[in-house]
Amino acid sequence: MAVDALAAVPPFVYVLAAALAVPLVSRRVGHALGMVATLAVVAVSALAPAGAYVQVGLFGFETVLFNVDAFARLMGLIFGFIGAAAVLYSYASRADNVQTAYALSYVGTSVGAVFAGDWLTLVFFWELMAVTSTALVWHYGGRAVRAGFRYALLHGVGGSLVLAAIVWYYVDAGSFLFSAAPEGLAAGGEIAAVLAAIGIGVNVGFIGLHAWLPDTYPRPHVAASVFLCVYTTKTGVYAMYRAFPEGHLWIAYMGGAMAVFGASMALLQNDMRRLLSYHIQSQVGYMIAGVGIGTALATAGAFGHVFNHILYKSLLFMTVGVIIFRTGEENLKYVGGLARAMPITAAAFVVAALSIAGFPGFNGFVSKGMVIAAAHKKHIDALWWLLMIGGVGTFLSFIKLGYYAFFHGEYDGSVSDANRGQQVAMVTVAALCVLYGLFPDALFAILPDAADLDYVTYTFDHVAEGLALAAAGAIGFVLLKKPLGKVGRVPDVDAVYNPAVFYGTRALVRGVTDSYAAVDRGVGRLSAAAVRAAGNPEAALRRAGVEPDAPTTDGPAGPSNLSAGIGTSVLILTVVVTIAVAVLVFV
Amino acid sequence: MSDLLPLLVASPILAAVAVLALGYKFERVGWPIAALASLVQVGLAGTVAARVYGSGRTVTYELGGFRPPFGIELVVDGLSAAVAALVAVVALGVLAYARRAGPRSIAFYTQYLLLVAGLSGMSITGDMFNLYVFLEITGLAAYALVASGDSGRAAVGALKYLIIGTVGASLFLLGIGYAFVATGTLNMADLSVRLAEVGYDATLVRASFALVVAGLAVKTALFPLHTWQPEAYASAPDSVSAFISALVSTVSAYAIARVIFSVFTVDFFAAVPAARTAVLTLAGVSIIAGSALAVMQTEVKRMLAYSSVSQFGLVVAGFALANQAGVVGGTVHLVGHGLMKGGLFLAAGALAAVAGARTVDEYDGLAARAPVLSGAFAVLALAMVGVPPAVGFVGKWYIALGAFEARAWPIAVVILASTLLTLAYFARLVERMYFRRPAAGTAPAGAAVADGGSDRPAGLSVGMVAVVVVVAILAVALGSLVAEFEQLMQPTLDTLLQL
Repeated sequence: MAVDALAAVPPFVYVLAAALAVPLVSRRVGHALGMVATLAVVAVSALAPAGAYVQVGLFGFETVLFNVDAFARLMGLIFGFIGAAAVLYSYASRADNVQTAYALSYVGTSVGAVFAGDWLTLVFFWELMAVTSTALVWHYGGRAVRAGFRYALLHGVGGSLVLAAIVWYYVDAGSFLFSAAPEGLAAGGEIAAVLAAIGIGVNVGFIGLHAWLPDTYPRPHVAASVFLCVYTTKTGVYAMYRAFPEGHLWIAYMGGAMAVFGASMALLQNDMRRLLSYHIQSQVGYMIAGVGIGTALATAGAFGHVFNHILYKSLLFMTVGVIIFRTGEENLKYVGGLARAMPITAAAFVVAALSIAGFPGFNGFVSKGMVIAAAHKKHIDALWWLLMIGGVGTFLSFIKLGYYAFFHGEYDGSVSDANRGQQVAMVTVAALCVLYGLFPDALFAILPDAADLDYVTYTFDHVAEGLALAAAGAIGFVLLKKPLGKVGRVPDVDAVYNPAVFYGTRALVRGVTDSYAAVDRGVGRLSAAAVRAAGNPEAALRRAGVEPDAPTTDGPAGPSNLSAGIGTSVLILTVVVTIAVAVLVFV
Repeated sequence: MSDLLPLLVASPILAAVAVLALGYKFERVGWPIAALASLVQVGLAGTVAARVYGSGRTVTYELGGFRPPFGIELVVDGLSAAVAALVAVVALGVLAYARRAGPRSIAFYTQYLLLVAGLSGMSITGDMFNLYVFLEITGLAAYALVASGDSGRAAVGALKYLIIGTVGASLFLLGIGYAFVATGTLNMADLSVRLAEVGYDATLVRASFALVVAGLAVKTALFPLHTWQPEAYASAPDSVSAFISALVSTVSAYAIARVIFSVFTVDFFAAVPAARTAVLTLAGVSIIAGSALAVMQTEVKRMLAYSSVSQFGLVVAGFALANQAGVVGGTVHLVGHGLMKGGLFLAAGALAAVAGARTVDEYDGLAARAPVLSGAFAVLALAMVGVPPAVGFVGKWYIALGAFEARAWPIAVVILASTLLTLAYFARLVERMYFRRPAAGTAPAGAAVADGGSDRPAGLSVGMVAVVVVVAILAVALGSLVAEFEQLMQPTLDTLLQL
């Protein structure tokens, strides 16, 4: 009975309803509502039994609005939980109701996407997610507006590619339902697969398609960044799994490359949130590698990493957010030695940093290790090396971030630590990071197909591997500290394609308007000439070199030198008949 | 009741003889007899058309009781019924107009009735040689009618028409001869079977098609075989211009359609694509050249004559497309053009009578002096351009649709371009009539008549204006009836196109 009631309403409804209500009530009540709604998602995710619910016709197609399986459940649990934590953090960080409403609509559409049971519903929420997240960025105003616009454009393109792949799938499978083809969107053929990979690749930050990430995420309100770092990319990972449930080697390699590229770029950043944004790409690279490898262990590792990453990455954005919130500084160069002033924030940061870097005892170690082990087991050595190098880069850049923010130098002026609400949010999440690190079985309990996995987290090899990475990172930092200090702002691919798109579009618009104007002029001249000729045919004939005859006594004749006499007429007739007979008889 | 068919031909011939016989005794008997005969003709044609459309079947009659294919057969299907009805109606309208406008000689009424007989015969005959006979009757009557204008110009125009028309008719006869040599029959229905048996590859059959179509194209006045036509139309008296422009070319174009669909059949087009291409090319060239030449004219009647060259190109193109939309469009435009062009010639004649305006320049400011006639002329002109909902629009629309469906893109482009050219030469007149002041020194209505010539009696009867106005109303009203007409035509179309 209770289960029926749970399953009757798709969980996104709660969150979207809260999003609508939040602007109408006080800040306190509004944020409380948001937390209740997001926690309701957690409850429904945990309790609703597997199955397809709320089967309705959307746009005349058979769709499933609420589909529960192990993957969707995992996504729902973590999306709901971190949504609640982020709403609390928003409340503590003085986010206004409208921003939180946008954030909740973004959470709601993401929840809708991961609980979709068919591609049409998924892409519907996918596009809405792009819209709501753009609104969330735009709400902050200022430099966030232009970045939000670029973000919207790129996601519009990506969404269209996904939609094209889905149409291809529909033509092939005859249905939008996931259940119609077990091999996912790849069932639509190679073109559909490429379209899907690139379209979803925008969301997960494939190299070359990733520039929106570091461009957008550092710009809005600190609390908005906490939301943003969670949903878009992770929904992308989820969709990538749905599209390629059996994986694909190229996707795996792209994941490995993302891990290295993101970590390297992160290392070169001084803007704190920009550094963290590059790390989203790097960490999502591990997940994409897991999805790409496609074995049960790799897939479980990828989703475990989604879960863990959401915890520590939102925690990182929270801690950095507190620094920005308290100091107003975005750049590492203007902060330092904050550990003394904000010990709780510093402690939370250390937990999060060790988690993301995969230090033994923290949750990142568990899931990252699974992906690396899966690569090792399948003997994809190049990928294994990429993932290891990415790990070193992660250590390096978080040592850098922590060192310069919390330990190196002094901060002039007095700052206080995170306020109570922020502390509650951060400490809760940090505790979970440690908990899932020390007790991996708690994670395995919610991972898909975890019962059959042949993987032990704490073996000598694994721990040694983790420590080696940490050591390599520490040594590397000591060596690179000086040169890194001299690096200014490093250009990314968007330095090329932003101007290219801008000037390309401008050239296109100019080209279209100019050719339109040329056609317009030509037609205008032609019409004027035609009107002149029709209005005064004699003058036109004279210009054309034909002299019309003078009017005769029998009446004004026309241009009678154009009209044939009797003899000529008969000649013409003969010629025409000859040609006609010749054509018909000989052709 | 198919006994009515021979009456369609016999009744006007008998009336013509009656006019001739009684005319020497009683000078004024011509018009009443002709009017009576025309009314009977309308009744006969209307009854036959009602029968054909009502039953959806073809009505036939064996002349003299000889069985086809040896005897001559009269055949009326949906296509010929429409043309026969058009002949009767236009003849009646022209006669009403000619009562005041003239010419009023016994010779005119006799020739007029003979022409009606010839045209009706061409419309309903089912025999190729019989078609030639009626073609000659029509031609001779038409030559004589053109010559009935008293000026030297009319005589020269008629002579030119006579010579070229006769050469064309001879070519047509030659073509029939080839077909006869190939098959040994002259009956159309029988020919269609025998030609297929002989095979469409046969040189005789192909040459026959070329000669027959070329001969009829002369009579239809398709460019470049049109050379007789502008001078004949322009030099003839106004009533005659209207009559022959509305009907003679129309029935010849009908004959082309009849020959294509009932004698050679669409299978011939399928087997010999070059034949279809040749006809379409001729039609397309005619559309453009006719319009361009019309734009160049300064004399209104010559301009209307060249306009016919262009419009018959459209009609023949519609038939040559040989699909449902094309044939419906060709038929609609055939009938619609007959009405509109006849009406335009009558209106031009009436305007000449009221204001002496015969050239484009002289049309300046006519609307103020003859508002009703000018209005009717403008309506007819716009209908001819193809402004919805007039019948001219519907016909062109169907033909263009047929061109698109047949993927005959050049024809489609030509049709659209011709609409612009048609607009060019008619808009010029409408603009002058409504938006210009008359040139200073233009003679007033009464004086203008004096310089026109003796074939133009002074004044304007109510009948003349009424006929023009009725035609203008018809040109607009018939457009909305085309959908029903297509339904009525469907059985005929199924037969002609072998659907």
